[in-house]
Amino acid sequence: MLDVRDVRLSYGGVHAVNGVSLDVQEGEIVGLIGTNGAGKTSLFNVITGFTRGDAGTIRFLDNQIEGSSPAAIAASGMVRTFQTPIGFPKMTVLENMLVFSHKERSERRKLLGGARPDKALIADALEILAEFRLDGRADIWVQDLSAPEMKMLEFARAMMARPKLMLLDEPAAGVNPALMENLEGHIRSLRDRGVTFLVVDHNLRFISAVCERTYAMADGKVIADGPTSDVIADPEVIRLYIGTGPGEAAA
Amino acid sequence: MDGLLIFATSMVTLAAIYGMVCMALNLEAGVGPLWDLGIVGCFGVGGYAYVLLTADPAADYQSYLFGFGLPMWVGAIGAATAAGLAAWLISLPTLRLRKEYFLIVTLAFAEVIRQFYANEEWLTNGVAGIYGLDQPLKQQFAPGDYPYVLMALCLAGLAATWALTRQLSKSPFGRSIKALRENEALAITAGIEPTATSRRLYVTAGAITGFAGMFFVWYNTLIVPGQFDSDFTFFIWAALIIGGIGSQRGALVGAFVFILLHDSLRFVQVSGEMAVALTSLRTALVGLVLILILRFRPDGLFPERPDRMTKGSRHA
Amino acid sequence: MDIIYFGLISASVLLLSSVGFALIVQVEGFLNIAHGQMLLMGGYTGLWLTNIGVPLAPAAVLAAVITGLLGMAMYGLLFRPIKAKGALVMLFTSVGAAYVINGVIGAIAGARMQGYDLPPVRAMLLFGEPFMTRYELAIVIVALLSALGLHLFMSGTRSGKSIRAVADNEALARARGIDPRSTSYLVWFVASALGGLAGVFLGVMGSLTLAMGWQQIILILATTVLGGLGSLYGVMLASFVLAFGIEFGLLAVQPAYRSALAFSIIIIVLLIRPQGLQSLWVRAARTH
Repeated sequence: MLDVRDVRLSYGGVHAVNGVSLDVQEGEIVGLIGTNGAGKTSLFNVITGFTRGDAGTIRFLDNQIEGSSPAAIAASGMVRTFQTPIGFPKMTVLENMLVFSHKERSERRKLLGGARPDKALIADALEILAEFRLDGRADIWVQDLSAPEMKMLEFARAMMARPKLMLLDEPAAGVNPALMENLEGHIRSLRDRGVTFLVVDHNLRFISAVCERTYAMADGKVIADGPTSDVIADPEVIRLYIGTGPGEAAA
Repeated sequence: MDGLLIFATSMVTLAAIYGMVCMALNLEAGVGPLWDLGIVGCFGVGGYAYVLLTADPAADYQSYLFGFGLPMWVGAIGAATAAGLAAWLISLPTLRLRKEYFLIVTLAFAEVIRQFYANEEWLTNGVAGIYGLDQPLKQQFAPGDYPYVLMALCLAGLAATWALTRQLSKSPFGRSIKALRENEALAITAGIEPTATSRRLYVTAGAITGFAGMFFVWYNTLIVPGQFDSDFTFFIWAALIIGGIGSQRGALVGAFVFILLHDSLRFVQVSGEMAVALTSLRTALVGLVLILILRFRPDGLFPERPDRMTKGSRHA
Repeated sequence: MDIIYFGLISASVLLLSSVGFALIVQVEGFLNIAHGQMLLMGGYTGLWLTNIGVPLAPAAVLAAVITGLLGMAMYGLLFRPIKAKGALVMLFTSVGAAYVINGVIGAIAGARMQGYDLPPVRAMLLFGEPFMTRYELAIVIVALLSALGLHLFMSGTRSGKSIRAVADNEALARARGIDPRSTSYLVWFVASALGGLAGVFLGVMGSLTLAMGWQQIILILATTVLGGLGSLYGVMLASFVLAFGIEFGLLAVQPAYRSALAFSIIIIVLLIRPQGLQSLWVRAARTH
């Protein structure tokens, strides 16, 4: 589904991404771990088109996508999340959903801005919101939601967009354990409905709970890949990523 | 009493014209992400395009281009088209600039355009301007009644602008520009192309502003470059901020409140020296109200409110 | 040769007008539209002082100081309380302040064009050729000295360093024991006083009208954008680029297009370098 070959990116003499290759098959949940500055977010930005890479090829659903605009890449079915899920703060929860719907995507180029949302579309959005217990909040601004509600809204939006591949940037950051379990459940249930995932996170417990396969990055390169349990047991990963003391590695 | 009525009619007419521009600006800068300090540019282009298309050919003591004497409806289309075209040209180099740079460069463009009207006499008759322009339906009514007719026309224009900008801001396009205003990176992941979308917004708002320019010509029956300096842009912004940026009702109310503040003192009849001081104090009063509103009610008299859409769609 | 002299004179006034504006952009992070009215304030205060018999040089200094105090008052009364409300609120508060100042000065001084009553002077000779008048030379020297002084002040003194620290990172500056409040008052004083001085100079070189503040703020904005918003050295360079660009441009187009020429220059520069001239020496833009 996603095939990244030998991608490079450097700025100011620093090789942020130094020849990374990875692939994600349809229906997988793939993890990407690494310390701060390992190049994970830079790689994300290159894949999603927000930053133009210096070299390498990226294929998504058998189309060459490097050089396409990030909006075009998103429209082709690859949707990313951001580390701080603030959404569109001064738009209602429902508006946040509508912006991501396919219906609106085709309507907004029309004369007079396209037809207003019909009842069926709003009902669809409310149904998805209900799954995340946000239907009662549909008419308030996102800036008035609690942090966990904003997190849930991210997944609700994703369901509205019906992406083929979701790139999650640190979904577990700043999330309490109860909510984390909730997140894991939502990721799996979305996968069962046909969404593929590539997940960047620091939290190894979270990664090993949801990802079958994982890549580990350091200094802009992939240093290990394979089944998640193998990768987090890799001695080099333990040394670089988890910390200095061997005792901590097991924890 | 009669004088007061005529004066009030004139103020409502002017407020209606300001209201149209306020709504166009609100679409761009309130709903959308474009902080445009050059809105007077499109207003002037619309006004001049209308005049050049509909005025009679230049007399020998004047010089301006065209003067086709075309019907007013052609002039209306021409005003909106020319302003939209001007907006499109300005958007080509400016839309990739960061917010504050965009603000200043649009201001710069408006100034360049104004100097262009002032200096290119073959096109616009220069600073002398063009006088004695026709007003619509003028012959059909008694001269004493005409101010009310003109007011009605401008209010109709205001209503049309209200309907159009409201439709646009509640449409999928309206949500896409709001999304760009709120969080550009996230908007991109919803498949919204920032530049193409902003360009469409800028051209649309420009065309509406140009259309309003036609009413301004009707109101004044003359056109001179001095009407289109950046004061006008700042006045429209002030009106929008007083009313409530991002809110359709705010744009409307802001225009009327602004005209009330700025022009009602014109009715006070004083002589010579005092009149000069009064004109200056009028400006100071607008400034003071602007400061107080921003201090104590920074979201304006009618702040932007959540757009509640679930009413009626839920199974009640 | 004339072009060089004219360019030098306009660059000096532009520099003096813009550098204070840029200082406020750098420290307070918003476009202070009322800065144009600081020029008006300085120009009219200087005029009033000379009319009551104060000689020109002390009148200019006094006018600058009074304008500086007005700037401090404006900061304390208007801008400090709304700092948290964002750049748009600050910007339009400054528009409001500009209207108030303009209106009050207009009500007192009247709408007529006014001028300093100075003895007429001839251009001095340099190598037998006409050069500048005494006043023009003084303006160029004072402007250049002010720029140099500002540079030394910012890089060499404690107060200057604290201004830069606050501009870079207010929280960090506070942690290092710098009081951002007194720093801000200082910035507003210096910036407004320089603007006031520029206003006196404009009055000396030409005449004073109520529209002066609005006309100048547009040129100031152009200069600041050309320099790269908030960069002091960028603005210094931009004043010269713009002034000489205009003087040379006027060889090709009519004088009425003076400020249009300025804008064409910034539009072209921004097309090539969207961050302004400062991007010639600042590599990466500051991240937010």
